[in-house]
Amino acid sequence: MDALIAKLKTQIIEQLNLEGVSPDDISPDDSLFGEGLGLDSIDALELIVLLEKNYGLKIENPADGKKIFATIRTIAEYITAHGKA
Amino acid sequence: MKAYIRGIGQISPQQTFDKDDFLDTVVGYNTNMLFCIDPVYKEFINPLQLRRMSRTLRMGVTAAKICLTDSGIEMPDAVITGTGFGCIEDTEKFLLAMLNNNEQQLTPTAFMQSTHNTISGQVAIMLKCKEYNSTYVNRGFSFETALLDSLMLIAEGNAHKILLGGFDENSVNLHVTTERLGHWKKEKINSLQLLESKTSGTISGEGATFFMLTDKEDANNYALLKGLSTLYKPENEKEVEQHTIDFLKRNNLSVADIDLVVYGLNGDVRTDGVYYHLRDTMFNQTAGAYFKHLCGDYYTSSAFALWLSANVIKKQDVPEVVRLGKAPLGAVKNILIVNHYRDINYSFMLVSQC
Repeated sequence: MDALIAKLKTQIIEQLNLEGVSPDDISPDDSLFGEGLGLDSIDALELIVLLEKNYGLKIENPADGKKIFATIRTIAEYITAHGKA
Repeated sequence: MKAYIRGIGQISPQQTFDKDDFLDTVVGYNTNMLFCIDPVYKEFINPLQLRRMSRTLRMGVTAAKICLTDSGIEMPDAVITGTGFGCIEDTEKFLLAMLNNNEQQLTPTAFMQSTHNTISGQVAIMLKCKEYNSTYVNRGFSFETALLDSLMLIAEGNAHKILLGGFDENSVNLHVTTERLGHWKKEKINSLQLLESKTSGTISGEGATFFMLTDKEDANNYALLKGLSTLYKPENEKEVEQHTIDFLKRNNLSVADIDLVVYGLNGDVRTDGVYYHLRDTMFNQTAGAYFKHLCGDYYTSSAFALWLSANVIKKQDVPEVVRLGKAPLGAVKNILIVNHYRDINYSFMLVSQC
């Protein structure tokens, strides 16, 4: 799980072009949207593509997105449960 | 139709983002592909917004911000831009992702920013400006059409202060593709010696230039933009000459009234002849200047010429690096810009002292 979280941090920083943010700056339990990392709806689309492209996971029900993308840890848990990480 | 130039912001292959450096620092390039010198964008754009912006968007938004600050006008009545290719790098990125991913898993950012009106839209969002917003894409007439629209809005009293922009970005893919069409020089040259090359082709460039146009006289105005005219595919040099005479006449000026002619010379031996014809006939007693050795050639490079002319009028200084020939030069009251893009789109602008 820890290795996956570290990998996800790097991928998210790269995909979302989070300039000046290093993996150490992001706690696995920080909120990604709203007050935490401050991501927005466009970032959510980027994350959906990231999951599909890198982990072969499609989020069929948009309502699940809010839970899955709550934190880096929830994404990692979702990948572990459903994916081929 | 006329308008005063109240403020200017420009990002180019020179240090033009610094308004106090009017070509005091000149950068020469030993390449045929010129790119802009980037200011520290974080000083102009919120880092949260910056991270998603492509290079051209950063250039355009920053040039617009510099222009707004320079003009002292916070909210324009309209935002109008002109661009030949728009945000070409994002277009390339998006199309490449489509190819590589077999039209699946496409990210939204590059697609959103690949449209031509991305910059005018982003500037409007940044300013919360819900007024008239338009982008013109007319190849070598893109900036001129945006300018024409601005002048008409001001003439009709529908707008009093307009943020006008011209921008195009260079890219390796674009350069390589158009190189096959013979647009660029085959041999590497020093950009500052562009006119000495005497071969076909020129150097590619880019830039983002914004002007605040207004109908109000003000001590801070740079210059008066007195006239604009375009000419499509003239048959010969005589037609260009006649068009120039008619243009001056329509603006109640004669050749003797012009103190400086800014030519769009780009070092292409195939298409520079018309400029030399004008210089050696009509304007053989008039001082000349040129500018594409500083910014390269691109669809909206006439915006660079307008930046140069407005600054010359305001500062009453013609930097040595742009001088063409040795004709004596006194006070500069009237400047004529003559530019063409690939011998197809000809434009003429008159810039005068306020």
